[in-house]
Amino acid sequence: MNDTLDAAASGGGTFDAQQAAQVLGQTSQQARRQFEQFPPWFSAARGIAALLAYGAVWLDVRGQHPYAHPTAALIPVGIGLGIVSATMATVLARRATSGVTGKTPLRPAEVAIVSVIWLGIFVVLGLLAGYGVSHSIVYGVYPAAAPLVAVGLAWAGIMARRGNWLAVAESLALVLVGVAAVATGPVWAWLVVGVGLFVVLLGRSAIVARSQRA
Amino acid sequence: MADDTLDPLIHVPTRLKIVATLAALPDGDALSFTRLQDMIGLTPGNLIIHLRKLEEADYIHSKKSVNGSVSITTVALTGYGREALGAYTKALRELLGGL
Repeated sequence: MNDTLDAAASGGGTFDAQQAAQVLGQTSQQARRQFEQFPPWFSAARGIAALLAYGAVWLDVRGQHPYAHPTAALIPVGIGLGIVSATMATVLARRATSGVTGKTPLRPAEVAIVSVIWLGIFVVLGLLAGYGVSHSIVYGVYPAAAPLVAVGLAWAGIMARRGNWLAVAESLALVLVGVAAVATGPVWAWLVVGVGLFVVLLGRSAIVARSQRA
Repeated sequence: MADDTLDPLIHVPTRLKIVATLAALPDGDALSFTRLQDMIGLTPGNLIIHLRKLEEADYIHSKKSVNGSVSITTVALTGYGREALGAYTKALRELLGGL
């Protein structure tokens, strides 16, 4: 009876070790691809977009002595890119984790923590501007580096709790990029962040692509 | 070495697909019956037959929960099931390496 059920359910036919290895390899690869929240192409695209956006800001400010601020026209472009990137990340993550329960999907509290940190970054920026802190910090080092350091640290903590060590390494690498940007000053900070994001995101893309093929 | 060294419970195309798909999730995560069905491309009846067999052997664990008026069944690979797939993969490698 059980054999009959098996034959019917599996479509019958023989199944040797070679075929089993093929089915196992293909199924594992497909499943890993479908469960991956940030596919390699997306990380690579984000890396290139970051390099172009931050690179454009660096080209804009590199001739300023003393440092003033990036051209106002670049701000909506940067905010627009950030919104597109965040929206696409949310859509891709939702699709990958559809039907998945447990550690992988983000919990509302974790989303709230990251949202509050982003909000805090802008509030502090407003306070710094309000208190008359120098332009090189308010319009240079702080907006370039603070998101990477603050959000990177929070994300590393969230991912460490889940045991997602690739995401932890990626987040800590972004924190280091932020720290390096602070050390280089308001003009070069933009280029350091652009190149740093490009390297980290392309590295992630390569690691994920490799693990999906394994 | 012959094919009979392979775990007969996993050495069925559909069950191998089920176990390999669930193993791609991190330990502790579960997958809804409907997403698993979409990914494997089986009819619900067929999938239930195979899931029952795997659950009887403690390779998977299924849980039914109710969200409003919708009943959701989730399936996860147990630690024992993960070990069984590891042993199956190892046996398969040895078998193919010996060819």
